[in-house]
Amino acid sequence: MAIGSVIKSRLDIKSDDYRANLAEMQKLWDGVAAEMANVPGIGGQRYVDRHRKRGKMLVRERIENLIDPNTPFLELSPLAAWGTEDPIGVGIASGIGTIEGVECLITGTDMTVRGGSANPTTWKKSQRFTEIAKENRLPVINLNESAGADLPRQADLFIQGGASFRDLTRLSQMGIPTITMAFGPNTAGGAYTPGTSDYTVFVKDRATAYLGGPPLVEMAIGEVVDEESLGGADMHSRTSGLSDFLAQDEMDALRITRQIVKHLQWKKLGPGPTESPDEPIYDPAELLGCASADVRIPFDIREVYARLLDGSRFEEFKPLYGDKLVCGWASIHGFPVGVLGNNGILFSEEAKKGAQFIQLCNKTNTPLVFLHNITGFMVGSKAEQGGIIRNGAKLINAVSNSTVPHFNLMVGASYGAGNYGMAGKAYNPRFIFTWPNHRIAVMGPKQLAGVMDIVARNSAAGRGVDVDEEALQAQTAALEAQIEHESTALYSTGRLWDDGIIHPADSRTVLGMALSAAHSNEVVGATSYGVWRH
Amino acid sequence: MTASNESTGSSDQWAPPAGSETVPQRPINKLLIANRGEIAVRIARTAHRLGMGTVGVYSEPDANALHVDSVDVAVALGGETAAESYLRGDAIIAAAKATGADAIHPGYGFLAENAAFAQAVEDAGVIWVGPTPEQITLLGDKVAAKRAAVEAGVPTTPIWEVGDDGAVPDGVPMPALVKAAAGGGGRGMRIVTEPELLAESILSASREAKAAFGDGAVFIEPYIERGRHIEVQIMGDQHGNVIHLGERECSIQRRNQKVIEESPSSGISEVTRAAVSEGALALARAVRYVGAGTVEFLVGESDDGQVINFLEVNTRLQVEHPVTEEVTGFDLVEMQLRVASGEPLAVSQDDVTITGHAIEVRVVAENPATNWMPSTGEITAFDVSNDVRTDTGIRAGAVISPNYDSLLAKVIAYAPTRRDAARLLARALRTSQVKGVDTNIDMLVATLGERDFLAAKTPTAYLGEHPEVLTPAGPVGDDRVALLLAAVFAKERRTRGDDKHHGFAPSGFRTLRIQGQRQTWTDGATDHQVEYVVDSRSAASVLIGAWPRPTEDGTLTTDERRRIVVRLLARTNQREVIEVDGVRHAIDVAIDDEAVRTRSAAGSVVFTQLPRFVEHELDDAGGGPVCPLPGTVIAVHVEVGQTVGEGDVLMVVEAMKMEHKITASAAATVGQVRFAVGDRVDQGDLLVALEAIE
Repeated sequence: MAIGSVIKSRLDIKSDDYRANLAEMQKLWDGVAAEMANVPGIGGQRYVDRHRKRGKMLVRERIENLIDPNTPFLELSPLAAWGTEDPIGVGIASGIGTIEGVECLITGTDMTVRGGSANPTTWKKSQRFTEIAKENRLPVINLNESAGADLPRQADLFIQGGASFRDLTRLSQMGIPTITMAFGPNTAGGAYTPGTSDYTVFVKDRATAYLGGPPLVEMAIGEVVDEESLGGADMHSRTSGLSDFLAQDEMDALRITRQIVKHLQWKKLGPGPTESPDEPIYDPAELLGCASADVRIPFDIREVYARLLDGSRFEEFKPLYGDKLVCGWASIHGFPVGVLGNNGILFSEEAKKGAQFIQLCNKTNTPLVFLHNITGFMVGSKAEQGGIIRNGAKLINAVSNSTVPHFNLMVGASYGAGNYGMAGKAYNPRFIFTWPNHRIAVMGPKQLAGVMDIVARNSAAGRGVDVDEEALQAQTAALEAQIEHESTALYSTGRLWDDGIIHPADSRTVLGMALSAAHSNEVVGATSYGVWRH
Repeated sequence: MTASNESTGSSDQWAPPAGSETVPQRPINKLLIANRGEIAVRIARTAHRLGMGTVGVYSEPDANALHVDSVDVAVALGGETAAESYLRGDAIIAAAKATGADAIHPGYGFLAENAAFAQAVEDAGVIWVGPTPEQITLLGDKVAAKRAAVEAGVPTTPIWEVGDDGAVPDGVPMPALVKAAAGGGGRGMRIVTEPELLAESILSASREAKAAFGDGAVFIEPYIERGRHIEVQIMGDQHGNVIHLGERECSIQRRNQKVIEESPSSGISEVTRAAVSEGALALARAVRYVGAGTVEFLVGESDDGQVINFLEVNTRLQVEHPVTEEVTGFDLVEMQLRVASGEPLAVSQDDVTITGHAIEVRVVAENPATNWMPSTGEITAFDVSNDVRTDTGIRAGAVISPNYDSLLAKVIAYAPTRRDAARLLARALRTSQVKGVDTNIDMLVATLGERDFLAAKTPTAYLGEHPEVLTPAGPVGDDRVALLLAAVFAKERRTRGDDKHHGFAPSGFRTLRIQGQRQTWTDGATDHQVEYVVDSRSAASVLIGAWPRPTEDGTLTTDERRRIVVRLLARTNQREVIEVDGVRHAIDVAIDDEAVRTRSAAGSVVFTQLPRFVEHELDDAGGGPVCPLPGTVIAVHVEVGQTVGEGDVLMVVEAMKMEHKITASAAATVGQVRFAVGDRVDQGDLLVALEAIE
């Protein structure tokens, strides 16, 4: 028997409202897609040509040749550093792909982006990947070449950079294999990436690794030495032992890596999919038009469920209680999940219902999917007297101490403590994926500006001065615009608050891959929590 | 009835039968078929139509074969090989007695032309469906048969017999053919073009005949170059009536075995047709032939018209008898059974008319492209068009073993004209499915559409002169593109099925796409680079042609590939229905490791996916020898750019008071000499960088 019963959709996909919203969403997605399309060549055509002239493949071409034919590749955080001073994507391509039937976390440096040098966001992005590898127990494949640190920015890099080598050895200590291919230079600190990997593959005549290059060596100890003798692939394969396998060329390095992965005899620890993985009755392609492009317009989260869950089936928990948090059991591509989605703000009832539901799912080792469209907890004297803080704390306690994998799908707004109650970024979900209409902030821009406006007026009143209406209005408008900008999906993904913006129609595939990755590790629920404030 | 047996234009010196009453009538109620495969199935079909019961025999591997299911009851002979089973005459006679069979039909091959067996059958009181043992003996000896033919006035060139002393006869014209008196199938046969080579050819042919048939007797006849194989079907009863049923042409042969047979022949003159028919009839009368037989001739061209050489008589039903049945309307097996039971022939020569044209092809489990290498294995699919006659003993699940011959099916088309028949047959073959073994179907289709074949220019050397039909290129244009794409997407479908983690994901799903799936496929002659993106479950965009490559300055070559819109309309493990730029193609596919066999109504092609990676030898990657021990270089024998061979000494290193010769492990070019005489070298140092010569 499958879980739940079929949701009846009430969405009229022929209505003008739906079509107008769909067009808006399409526009939002087109904006994201245009940003994504720039990423592979973001280093500049001149550097791409120079890279190819050296007989080298671009990092994503290497990944295409590394993974199994026709299998999917889920690239993560391709727009990292969007809106910052660092290049978008930060010169790393990373994601989850299958090599010889093994799901791996694959990460490679893009030499065409500032010579593959690391900037502060680079470390942030690589640390996020190490975290994903560790939490989900995914073998790590490094496609390495780097000129080293972006030296002028060393102050923002030096300390954080050390963590990446610590993390590599810790992954190894945990029994998570790490394989590094060296396609080019691995200099100074970068040399420790192969140094701290389980397996290394060096490309002949291309890869080098040394703590100090020929100029530094000459400076330091007066030795004049050529690059190959100092740290060439051949030397490291025959003499130093840093390289385990000497690859004839780039393709050969990929071939050898595939062989290494094959011999790992890798077994996933999770139970894997157990439910019927049939497609939803309602077309997942309609997800693009399901959520409101303008997050201020409410929509029924069940319409998303109807297009996201296997067979459009959903077994709703407490349907008559706390109905603004729609909780229940379902499956995605056969993986059983507990689903929590917002149909309005959180009241005490919603918070208590969510906390109980999370505990129930932990008892049955069921991963949780949170669909965020939340503007926050209820405020006001009635809510406070009803114990909204006490009850909200229950939800925070539950999401903080729950140990089943959590997945966030940002289908609308995620404001304020609502983000926390829905196990947002700070609560370490395994993965967060974002729809292009997503807005995230401490509160909505209008509310925030409005609050600041009232605060300013109160302050003025307290000081007994008159408000400069014109100045205040301008200030409020500017603040609203700033918050509006800082609340967008692109801003959020640029700061690595998520693992990538996705096309809503891809949500099933992406969540399926994320669930599959989580099942590489054990899926075990919590047995204890912090004190419940009753 | 009493046959008057007037044959066309011959003065009838052969007396009509003495009378039916002198021939005992022995009704056949139950027939034992001492054979397997298609002929056993075909004989049973007629026997059942005549109301007879049937008994089959089978070897162990054939216990569940189609021919065993085609008879009422079957008797196990045991064994696997022919010698252990279908050649065991005593066991077959015992089976006939045990099951109460009245008669034994031997089919062809196995015991069909074994006089001793025929005699033993008669001695056991069982009817032998075939000529008498005496006729089998006489006509089975090629020299004796030729003598009888000459005596009967059969048109033929002379022969020169070679005595036991091996003496070379005089006056043999060149070119000549030395042939074994016993046997056939090309063994003990030599073509001689120079008189001085005759003696040697006689010796070697005799040696081979002795080894193959236990009889070293050979004879010589003029060699007819580019001749046609023409044979006449004869049928005689026990009352002395004989008729002929027209001729067949069986010129298209591989290794002296027939592949395509037809009736009538379009390559002989009316004079020749009359001469071979009359000759065959004359010989049949001379020996009072009983049952079905075939008189074989070779017909060549000369300045004075066609020359005819009598070859031999086959005293059995031929494999290719169906073409005669099609053009005459007679059931030859029925005729055999009736005359065997003592009935006179129901038809006279005048009743025999040839209408239309029939062509038979032999579908065999052999690969014409690899010198007709036999192919064995389990037949996984077997489906031949219903528009033509198919005689077969094979069905899906049958196993083709090396124990028996490679014939899978005879496919026979009958139509008003030869061209019609060829076209009908070609289409039937194109749309047939035989999977699990290699077959000659593509070669047959190619031949049936080939210009010389259609013009009836078919000497026995035909296949030698038309190697292109052995490795047919198959369909062209978009028909071919569709086959390629069917192969690509059959493989794509298979790999998606193999994805145990993300099988749910759309094929080649990317959140950020830089390119599609790139693959290289080959049809053996041409490599095709293919790139595709599957847009949704049923659509894909495809680029065919060389994908852009980096040039000297790092920029990519211009993309000049053809863009194709593909829809995958219906997909199973066996079939891809694929729309290529708006045209629908239904294509059968079979994946065999990296190879995918494809077949549509347009024809078939086998495409193979080339591997993504090349396996390099460790030494190639190594780039040269390394120092075995710490020491000093005392000699350098090579310089940069020099070519060295395997084992060449490159350098000598003195270490631990020993001289160690450093040698090349394979042919290579010296890329770098990394040390000079007197240099200290360490264990593991690369001494000389070598670049392997491919």
